[in-house]
Amino acid sequence: MQRILRDFSRNRLVYAMMLPVVVYYLLFHYVPIYGVQIAFKDYSPMLGFLKSPWAGFVYFEEFFNSYYFVRLLRNTFLISLYSLIFAFPSGIILALLLNEVKSRVFKRSIQTITYMPHFISIVVVVGIMFNFLARDGIINNMLVALFGIEPIAFMREASWFRTIYITSDIWQGIGWSSIIYLAAIAGIDPSLYEAAKIDGAGRWRQVLHVSIPGILPVTTILLILQIGSLLSVGDEKILLMYNPVTYETADVIGTFVYRKGILEASFSYSAAVGLFKSVISFMLLVMANAFARKVSENNLW
Amino acid sequence: MKKSLASVAFDVCNYTFLILLALTTLYPMLHIFFSSISEPAFVVQNRGLILYPRGTNFEAYVRVFENPMITLAYWNTLIYVVAGTAINILLTACGAYALSRRNVLWMKPVMFLIVFSMFFSGGLIPLYLLVGDLGMMNSRLAVIIPTAVNAFNLIIMRTSFQAVPVSLEESAKLDGANDMVILFRIILPLSLPVVAVITLFYAVGHWNSWFPAMIFLQTRELLPLQLILREILISNTTGQMMTDLGQLDQIPVAETIQYATVMVATLPILFLYPFLQKYFVKGVMIGAIKE
Amino acid sequence: MQQQARKAWIAAVLGLVLVFMAACSSKGNDAASPSQGSPSVAPPASAQSPAAAEETGYPASFKYWVQLPYNADPSVTNYSQMKAFQRKQEITGTQVEFLHPSGEGAQVAEQLNLLLASRNLPDVIESNWRNIPKGPDNAIKDGAIIRLNELIDQHAPNFKKYLDDNPDIRKMITTGEGNIYAFPFIRGDQALRVSWGPIMRADWLKTVGLEPPETIEEWETALIAFRDHDLNGNGKQDEIPFVLPIGAVNNSQLNPMIGAWGITGDFYQVDGTVKFGPVQDEYKQFLTVMKRWYDEKLIDPDFAAVDNKLLDAKVTNNQLGAFFHSGGGGLGRYLKLMKDSGDTAFDLIGLRNPTLNKGDMPALGMMDFAYQGLGSAAITTSAKNPEQIVKWLDYNYSEDGQLLFNFGIEGESYTVTDGVPKLSQNILDNNPHISKYALIYASGPFVQDVRAMTYTSANHKQAVENWAYAANKVRVPPITMSADDSAKLNAIMSDINTYIQEMNIKFVMGVESLDKFDAYVNQLKTMGIEDAVKIQQEALDSYNQSK
Repeated sequence: MQRILRDFSRNRLVYAMMLPVVVYYLLFHYVPIYGVQIAFKDYSPMLGFLKSPWAGFVYFEEFFNSYYFVRLLRNTFLISLYSLIFAFPSGIILALLLNEVKSRVFKRSIQTITYMPHFISIVVVVGIMFNFLARDGIINNMLVALFGIEPIAFMREASWFRTIYITSDIWQGIGWSSIIYLAAIAGIDPSLYEAAKIDGAGRWRQVLHVSIPGILPVTTILLILQIGSLLSVGDEKILLMYNPVTYETADVIGTFVYRKGILEASFSYSAAVGLFKSVISFMLLVMANAFARKVSENNLW
Repeated sequence: MKKSLASVAFDVCNYTFLILLALTTLYPMLHIFFSSISEPAFVVQNRGLILYPRGTNFEAYVRVFENPMITLAYWNTLIYVVAGTAINILLTACGAYALSRRNVLWMKPVMFLIVFSMFFSGGLIPLYLLVGDLGMMNSRLAVIIPTAVNAFNLIIMRTSFQAVPVSLEESAKLDGANDMVILFRIILPLSLPVVAVITLFYAVGHWNSWFPAMIFLQTRELLPLQLILREILISNTTGQMMTDLGQLDQIPVAETIQYATVMVATLPILFLYPFLQKYFVKGVMIGAIKE
Repeated sequence: MQQQARKAWIAAVLGLVLVFMAACSSKGNDAASPSQGSPSVAPPASAQSPAAAEETGYPASFKYWVQLPYNADPSVTNYSQMKAFQRKQEITGTQVEFLHPSGEGAQVAEQLNLLLASRNLPDVIESNWRNIPKGPDNAIKDGAIIRLNELIDQHAPNFKKYLDDNPDIRKMITTGEGNIYAFPFIRGDQALRVSWGPIMRADWLKTVGLEPPETIEEWETALIAFRDHDLNGNGKQDEIPFVLPIGAVNNSQLNPMIGAWGITGDFYQVDGTVKFGPVQDEYKQFLTVMKRWYDEKLIDPDFAAVDNKLLDAKVTNNQLGAFFHSGGGGLGRYLKLMKDSGDTAFDLIGLRNPTLNKGDMPALGMMDFAYQGLGSAAITTSAKNPEQIVKWLDYNYSEDGQLLFNFGIEGESYTVTDGVPKLSQNILDNNPHISKYALIYASGPFVQDVRAMTYTSANHKQAVENWAYAANKVRVPPITMSADDSAKLNAIMSDINTYIQEMNIKFVMGVESLDKFDAYVNQLKTMGIEDAVKIQQEALDSYNQSK
């Protein structure tokens, strides 16, 4: 008790600064949490939370017993995994490459241009993708001209879906995600570079021993958070991109639940699936965080 | 220091790669821009590269701005961006500072609390009811307050604050500085790049946001730009599929109008980043701080 | 450093100031008309039935929630700006506050659900009450909306008369438990209920010397001719004879082709017995023909990924020979687009729905029922004076109300010649847009009048006539079911729908041989299709038995 009082008096200002944020989280994130119960109830908007009858695990079972459950899980994991392996590092790599550019003007213009696609509405992006990847679209025209092969119907082949999805993610996000890493690099103490140079380190060594360690904290945190969102893979984009031919690889948890919602706004079902996703995601996050804590100093708590 | 051959080779490759990257990312914006000022019939038919506009036709833009909702929505978005971001940064900076303090008792639990809330949510309905109960429904506050702090941004800022060398803090404390002073005179200046980026993130977030507005606002005069644009984009795609309700339907919005709306919605925010870029100067404050 | 800190504070203070400004300013409401609501006024004696038990007046004011139609003129941001409603306010003295959700489709449904959850209901909600979660009976039982039967009998003489004159309509809007739940949107004439069908390039038919096809065989001949002759004259054999988007195959409202075999792609009924299309032998025959067409390159190889944009491109690129679409938004729009771009040969006609044998009447036409569910106004339990609101809604079904919402204001948007109302020329020229005056272009609680309908061209008119030529006996009427049944049905159908869509493609593209069709039917049975049929059957039975 003594310790608590002393801590308060010593860190008054800190707690004062924290207060508004805590109030915000309590109010807008924890007060509404009672809504989670509808995953276990047969929720009817008109009856409300308290009066809707209990349904136990009915909706969870409905989800787990679905003919497509395994496929959905597999697709969701795979797309997230590929995204982690390919898309995640792309921003870092771009940031490191840009950092090597001497000309300020060149660097700035590249930065500004590459981050533009992030702002284009996903509806338009997918529209352009369909346009370019059509049988008689640009990509096929180039392939036929250069390699003389038959045109590929990209959007109609399940085997191409993940590749196209990840590639377009990288294309749209690389510039934007590099921003945060560039900012982190900018925050690295220049004297560290000086010291490295004096020790005889060439450019590659400098990157390896100064730049990368300098952005490691941010990278670790972002990586942990990304692992935590493994199950929530890009629903709206997939909805726009997929069709029954590609369900085999494209149908993920989010899209399946969305289609189900078209039949009937089943709050309880989507709440149940959402809760399932939350629990798994959180477990993944905790594991990732624990691992990070063992390996480095950076972790979430 | 003389540059080695490997170094030069690397530079050449690097520059080439970056230029190619820039071209592939620039092209779609150009495609959209050219489409927005081309003849509608051409745009509907054409599937290839549009390297230049076919027939300059600004009618799409005229139609877009004739829509009285557009200018109003622009103004609304501006309010949401400025007011929203101000609140965001204020709260996030204070929160990130507090959370980055070592040896303060409650910070670990609070951190856990915040991360936990990123995953477990009660869903839309309780939030909706809460907003109603707080009297914020159908007002601008409903768009700004419920998203006052983004946990993701908070965490990034905290990480950056944590990276500031402890020695600087301690020497400041020895000089009698309290937490406010430390935050504003030491931490913030040294973390300026990250703070600038987070500001950008929040601002862009507000600019692109449409969901809270859709759920909480019932008066069209308060709607932000993105919501209006979404209606144009999506209702055109679904509208054509709808079986005719009445035979007097307007010929649906031409594709060029869609492209024009995309340009109108995207261009302004694109220029925020170059504006903030000047804060990305390397470690500029280190030397100055060491007084 | 002082500079930085100061700047930060200024920015923060500025931000807060803006926030307060924002908060204090428009707490948006009352987008409705500025005039003060006058107290309840006794209505002028119009079609008042003297048998009414009591003289109720119109309400002083109430709240009305409805989605703004997507094709309204952008300047109409609230229904209160529509002349029809303004005139109605003058007549009834009622001030209505209109609330409009934003967004489309699923988003509007989401907002409606939020509204219902918040229990802070407006007095009237106009929506498709057949699509409400768990159905309209449940909405009544759970206390969201009220049962209207008695109120209609006592306070809605015009609507009551309409129902008495049209017992089939009464049946359509009554639930299995006998509740009338909303004031419906009715398409008052057959011509208004047909808006979708097969469309083909008339100029191409003429070039190859063929008559418009009526049977599946004739279709095949025409499509082969399309494929082989270079009809767009570009020297390449890139014509696509026909496209059937995958999403349309199992949608009863979008697939006329399958009707040739007498079935639809999902639930249908034959003389009161519910059946499910994809498990029938006829479905296998349909798939066999589609597969043959696919192999012979008569169907667009991209059929699995076609969306509206692609369809547009293929039509206007002179590649597509035949497809399904609507009259105005499809046929009319394409004709105009191509004419504007200078193509004088391009011509489209609407064909009759195909049959198997020459001379047969097509079994399936894309004719909607007069009542589909959309645009129906229900009164919520929050309404303090439902009798008055019923009376207010009843006005729409009177002769004056009918003219008001279909045609607008006499002298401004329409004229009457020899007792026949006709939309004025400036409205026909879209200047100003009809949405400023009336609701004929959208939906709402009134009866759509065929005299207000206009065709974009002679082709359009002919198309509608052709499309209306069908027996139209197999589609399932607007049945409703109990909450439990509805939940059970949906639980079964989501997996099934995914499976059917995937198998369609596999069969047509030859990835899966049609010999495996029986295995496919068995799989559907394992997934519970027979239970689903049973549920639909029960709902249809109770519908047919009610009066």
